[in-house]
Amino acid sequence: MGMISSQEKAAALAAVPLFAGISDDSMAHLTEVAGEVEFPAGQFIVRQGQVGSGLYVIIHGLARVVRGSTEIASLGPGEFFGELSVIDQEPRMASVEAVRDTRLLAVASWDLLRLLESDPALAQNLIRELARRVRSAGEHHHH
Amino acid sequence: MAELDARPCPPGDYPVVVVGSGPGGLQTSYYLRRLGIRHAVLSADPAPGGMFRRFPFFQRLLSWTKPYGPVDRRSRGYEWYDWNSLLADEPENRAIMPELMDGTSSFPSRPEMELNLATYARRTGLEVRFGCRWESTRREGDHFVLGTSDGEYRARACVFAVGVAEPWKPDTPGFENVPHYVETRAPETYAGKRLFIVGKQNSGFELASGLLPWAQRIVLVSPRQVKLSVNTHSLLGIRARYIQPVEDEVLGGGVFMLNGPIGRVERSADGVRVFCVRSEGGGELVVDADEAIAATGFTAPLRDLPALGVSVFGQSRLPSLTNYWESTNVPGIYFTGTIGQASGGMKKYGLPSNSGAVHGSRYNARIAVQHLARKHFGFAPEQPAVEPSSLVDYLLNEATAAPELWNQKSYLARAVSLDPTQGMRDEGIVPLADFVDMEGSPAVAITVETDDTGDIHPAVYVREAGRPAVETLLGSQALHDFRTVDNRARLASVLKGLTAGTAR
Amino acid sequence: MPLSQPELVNTLASLSLFADLSRPQVEQVAHRMSEESYPEGQRILRQGFTGSGFYVILEGEVAIRIDGEERARLGRGDFFGEMSILLGEPPVADVVTLRQLHVLHLGGPELEGFLREHPSVMFRMLRTIALRLRNASRWRS
Repeated sequence: MGMISSQEKAAALAAVPLFAGISDDSMAHLTEVAGEVEFPAGQFIVRQGQVGSGLYVIIHGLARVVRGSTEIASLGPGEFFGELSVIDQEPRMASVEAVRDTRLLAVASWDLLRLLESDPALAQNLIRELARRVRSAGEHHHH
Repeated sequence: MAELDARPCPPGDYPVVVVGSGPGGLQTSYYLRRLGIRHAVLSADPAPGGMFRRFPFFQRLLSWTKPYGPVDRRSRGYEWYDWNSLLADEPENRAIMPELMDGTSSFPSRPEMELNLATYARRTGLEVRFGCRWESTRREGDHFVLGTSDGEYRARACVFAVGVAEPWKPDTPGFENVPHYVETRAPETYAGKRLFIVGKQNSGFELASGLLPWAQRIVLVSPRQVKLSVNTHSLLGIRARYIQPVEDEVLGGGVFMLNGPIGRVERSADGVRVFCVRSEGGGELVVDADEAIAATGFTAPLRDLPALGVSVFGQSRLPSLTNYWESTNVPGIYFTGTIGQASGGMKKYGLPSNSGAVHGSRYNARIAVQHLARKHFGFAPEQPAVEPSSLVDYLLNEATAAPELWNQKSYLARAVSLDPTQGMRDEGIVPLADFVDMEGSPAVAITVETDDTGDIHPAVYVREAGRPAVETLLGSQALHDFRTVDNRARLASVLKGLTAGTAR
Repeated sequence: MPLSQPELVNTLASLSLFADLSRPQVEQVAHRMSEESYPEGQRILRQGFTGSGFYVILEGEVAIRIDGEERARLGRGDFFGEMSILLGEPPVADVVTLRQLHVLHLGGPELEGFLREHPSVMFRMLRTIALRLRNASRWRS
């Protein structure tokens, strides 16, 4: 796979619901700082227990989320993972493994944090997404 | 010759003592009389009216009375078009306010409102001991003993309708030199002055509106931004009649509004110098003025009630109340009138009830008296039977026209019990927050609610045996007639399981 | 129990949710939200009911219950109600007071504007929700 162009990067990011509605400045900055990475099928993208280094957005391919030996989710283009570790700097709670050859955009923790602090729309999207996941995880402690 | 005190309610033992002769005290006394409960009404004032003997200073009241409403003035339905008259069961004592208005406005003036309350007290024959100041409270067994300027009163239950009209100012340095709203003078004495008003709520805007023609410049400052009631779709925020200063500010005519706390106030050669901190950043702003007024609010004059155990909260020192306006900590002590706003209710979408105003608190007083009578004197309220086939119509008629539900949206509701062993019984008008959480026999309650879009619609709460209520929202209608085919069908369906067993 | 305005602001300033705000900003929050008091055994949030709000606990304790079963407790400094508002769905649990409760309340429609005005509060909330997600049964890394 060859490297994608800046335009393709921007398009891929704009398609991610998490980044919907963020300012043009934020989107430009995001496009600039997002790095492209590739993982062949079978390789681990992140490992459980590792200190998280950032957020990943899938552009092409397929990955699966594994805790221990249990697969708990599969992720495709436009979906993201890793944001929890960015927010709280705790070690990753699951591994993510490429099922097929997968291309991703990676946004380093400190870049995403800066964006979260400066762009309320991004923080709002993320807070809503997390709230949705807490609800759907059947975690009824909170509402 | 010995002077006889001809005033009613001499010191002594009474089943109930009521303190206050404003709308709250008068309404409470009326319903105690209707239930035949002997009681004393004490007031430090020389005459009835409460806060309306002094406030508002300028302008007219914020509450309307429409002389030409769509229903007969003596009817129950007219209460939705008349927010200023107290309630009465006798037609001749109802809707007194419109009789006294001169027709130039649907908002009474302060003197008209004061006369309204005095006329009500006189016509209904209420007996108030004026010039009797409540000073202290203590407990003796299961009685309360109130110390007053005329002696002691013992009672099983007390109702305090003492208002929230005690001036309050923050202890910001220099504020001791800033007169409170209550000390405002005649408007012409502010002619040509640079005025500084602390506070951007209705009292601050009442002053700004009233003094706008006189002041050279008006600066209003408070930490929070102005909210307009037309934007909040409720009575929360600055009411329409006080909007002139806002328009002035927007157009740049000599009114300025700043958001931020005040650091301190200093005396200057020709007046005051106010040091304001800006919330949005930008540091300190110094404003010079000839006169400053603190429209910073009021507290409830509860005297030694907190020492007795009545828990209070908030800047206004309101008492913590149950859904029936009883102190949460000291049973037997009730609060009617504007203090009842401390019982917040559902507050859906953050919208408060009208318990702080006469048109809401008058219903609260009626219900509080019924509750007090049940709880302390064993009164069994009448609960007329409801014909099962007419239940749906009855509920929708109430939602469409019941003034209690319209004046106290999402706060009061009409309840009908559906206990199979008793048949359907009308439980009357109840506090909604109490109904939805009670786990008792099956029942249904209907009220009127507004949502965050301003849509007004009925809301039905159905309670099955032993479970808290479930909410169903019905549809709105352009002219607020909720008796639509759709609403009938939905209400019937929601009640189906519960009403089958109660058919007689 | 009754807090004067400076005491209220001090109390708020001590809560982690508002830890990153300047003093004038905390005062603004104090004015923006309304103080309320509820007796013991009162539902504040009701499962399935529309129009719920956002609450920050100043004093007291609440239980979170689903179908009568207690799932968790919250106390001073904790907040609740934001999930329903953020998701636009009614609460999935009841919140009931275990003893007299003193709270700050912000109406649902005002929460998003409030969080936008105070991004550090939103960020703290984000962290708390992230923690809940970590504790939940399904998550991503």
